[in-house]
Amino acid sequence: MHEMSIAINIVSIARKEAEKESAPSISMIELEVGKLAGVMVDSLQFCYEAACKGTLAEGSELQIIELEGQAKCMQCGNVFTIDSFMAICPKCDTYEIEIIQGKELRLKAISINEEGSSHV
Amino acid sequence: MCDTCGCGSNSTTFTKHGEKEHHHGDGHHHDHDHDHGHNHDHSHEHDHSTHTHGRTIEVEQDVLGENNLLAQRNRGYFEAKNIFALNLVSSPGSGKTTLLEKTLVELQDVPSAVIEGDQQTMNDADRVAATGVPVLQINTGNGCHLDANMIHTAYGELELKNDSVLFIENVGNLVCPALFDLGENKRVVIISVTEGEDKPAKYPTMFDAADICIINKIDLLPYVEFDVARCKEHALKVNHQLEFFELSATTGEGMDTWLSWLRDNLK
Ligand SMILES: Nc1nc2c(ncn2[C@@H]2O[C@H](COP(=O)(O)OP(=O)(O)OP(=O)(O)O)[C@@H](O)[C@H]2O)c(=O)[nH]1
Ligand SMILES: [Mg+2]
Ligand SMILES: [Zn+2]
Ligand SMILES: [Zn+2]
Ligand SMILES: [Zn+2]
Ligand SMILES: [Zn+2]
Repeated sequence: MHEMSIAINIVSIARKEAEKESAPSISMIELEVGKLAGVMVDSLQFCYEAACKGTLAEGSELQIIELEGQAKCMQCGNVFTIDSFMAICPKCDTYEIEIIQGKELRLKAISINEEGSSHV
Repeated sequence: MCDTCGCGSNSTTFTKHGEKEHHHGDGHHHDHDHDHGHNHDHSHEHDHSTHTHGRTIEVEQDVLGENNLLAQRNRGYFEAKNIFALNLVSSPGSGKTTLLEKTLVELQDVPSAVIEGDQQTMNDADRVAATGVPVLQINTGNGCHLDANMIHTAYGELELKNDSVLFIENVGNLVCPALFDLGENKRVVIISVTEGEDKPAKYPTMFDAADICIINKIDLLPYVEFDVARCKEHALKVNHQLEFFELSATTGEGMDTWLSWLRDNLK
């Protein structure tokens, strides 16, 4: 269940950013997750809610943007979409590829409420 | 709460073999003690009755950035002291500790140290300690992997020697440890022939993140249906740069190549 430690990291990064802005609360966290990142999105959503409890992000929403996997063939340079690590270059049939996208786990942005606002 | 000392902490503990005391890592815990029983069907519509000023802030940070940074710090430390650090990962029971025991006995002329990671017990540390090598046990409690910060705390206690080798046995788990760089020089994934030969296809993240793949328990090959060539094929499809060793930690078959690879890397 590393999703729990990841959720805790997410909330902790977001909290630091919100504190810099003296925001009373966080309403949304935007996260990019590559399809090959090794993270289960459902499980992450579930743990996220728990990780938010008692923090500035309590009750906030986790918006997950899933990123396609992309690979570059090391033989012919072809760039193509992949959905698993066991991908093959469609041009030259080789497994010698380099994954160039799909392992991301990036906190993109947070939405904060500002002082004086009410969030019912 | 910590079962051992009742200190109110549920974080990771670090215990040197032969010492009664354990202590807790600093605030870096992965406890899962949240309530899974409640209803998740809440709506995300918020009633903004009075005026609300929301604002979006760009963050653009790697979620594992802190761990990666700490791993880089560990790596720098290992490099400065010329320590060759290995991170051993596998499913529970593939033979990590047995391989370590055998390796350490053969490598007695090389200064070594071991960090053991398990959720509970000192058993693996006790087995390693019998070889005379300094060992520190990390008990992660509910945590399913070691992280760079734990390793940093652990080697601080072990007082590693220059020009030595550090073996880290990760928590037996083929999923979670894949994501956490510890600052090791090489990551070694172990699979035993009593597991399915398609493990690399089923757990690709781990095989993708490894440098070395050890196929262990080859003494059992006559009794199980495990095609070594097919297993390698699966693994190479995931990661074409993997290097393989086939061995039996129990009988010692194939250990020579592994040991000479280790020695070559210690120069
Ligand atoms: N036949 C055979 N058995 C082995 C071999 N290596 C390990 N075993 C056995 O496999 C079992 C598990 O070995 P361990 O070394 O404890 O495995 P581990 O990966 O450290 O296990 P965890 O720390 O629990 O994840 C033990 O009963 C070992 O004796 C081998 O090469 N051949
Ligand atoms: Mg073990
Ligand atoms: Zn996990
Ligand atoms: Zn959970
Ligand atoms: Zn190609
Ligand atoms: Zn304690």
